[in-house]
Amino acid sequence: MDINVRKRSQVQLIQLRGQLRLGPPVDELKRTIDEALAEGDTRFAVNLAEVAMIDSSGIGLLVKSLTSTKQRGGSLKLVSPSNFAIKTLKLVGVLNLFEVFDSDDKAVESFN
Amino acid sequence: MSADTPAIDSHNDGPSIRLLDVEMPGEAAAVSAVSDTVADTLMRLDCPEEKRLEIVLAVQEALANAAVHGCKNDSSKLVRCRVEHYPSGRILIIVKDPGEGFLPEEVSDPKASENLERSHGRGVFLIRQLMDEVHFGGNGSEVWMWKY
Repeated sequence: MDINVRKRSQVQLIQLRGQLRLGPPVDELKRTIDEALAEGDTRFAVNLAEVAMIDSSGIGLLVKSLTSTKQRGGSLKLVSPSNFAIKTLKLVGVLNLFEVFDSDDKAVESFN
Repeated sequence: MSADTPAIDSHNDGPSIRLLDVEMPGEAAAVSAVSDTVADTLMRLDCPEEKRLEIVLAVQEALANAAVHGCKNDSSKLVRCRVEHYPSGRILIIVKDPGEGFLPEEVSDPKASENLERSHGRGVFLIRQLMDEVHFGGNGSEVWMWKY
């Protein structure tokens, strides 16, 4: 999975491409978020437009990261999840935990 | 085959064709390659995308459980994955690990409010939601999953 990180208006914009699943994809995203949290970043927007599939370990990471950011006064928001990602998040009942936006811009603006 | 393994011909829709029969090391790092192989196998069947994604995610979860829990991430142990295709179009996936198994009925509901923010515990639930019929055999060390 490709992970591209940009910072805009104090928001970490994380663009993912591939499948967010057990193994290197989840490990690398976890490391990316943990490093940003360690540097004091608490606002994240994760773009899932090009993530065809998220497994339970990916869901677990997103939920855990949402909790971690909220505990620090920030949040983790989702951008343009693919249809199957939305279906999966709904199936396990966590979609409503997240704010979901249809563009990076709207997600960034929502923090301000 | 264990005594509580479901009969493969329980649906009486003719003999199946075995599309895949592979073993993988019982570690998390090996899971994605096998689920990709299953995805490729389903692509060759012209399986519709939504159905294919559902099956592959269920397989991913079953393989992950087998590697992480059944084999305790021990690459010297092996997980077996089989894919069968029936004339009716049904697809059967069997994932078996050498572990002690678990009690599927004791898996907690991940949608319960107290579990929603947990970082784990959604795999078996997803398998049941994504597939049309799921049976656990071998005290939970073997899962049989059908998609119609």
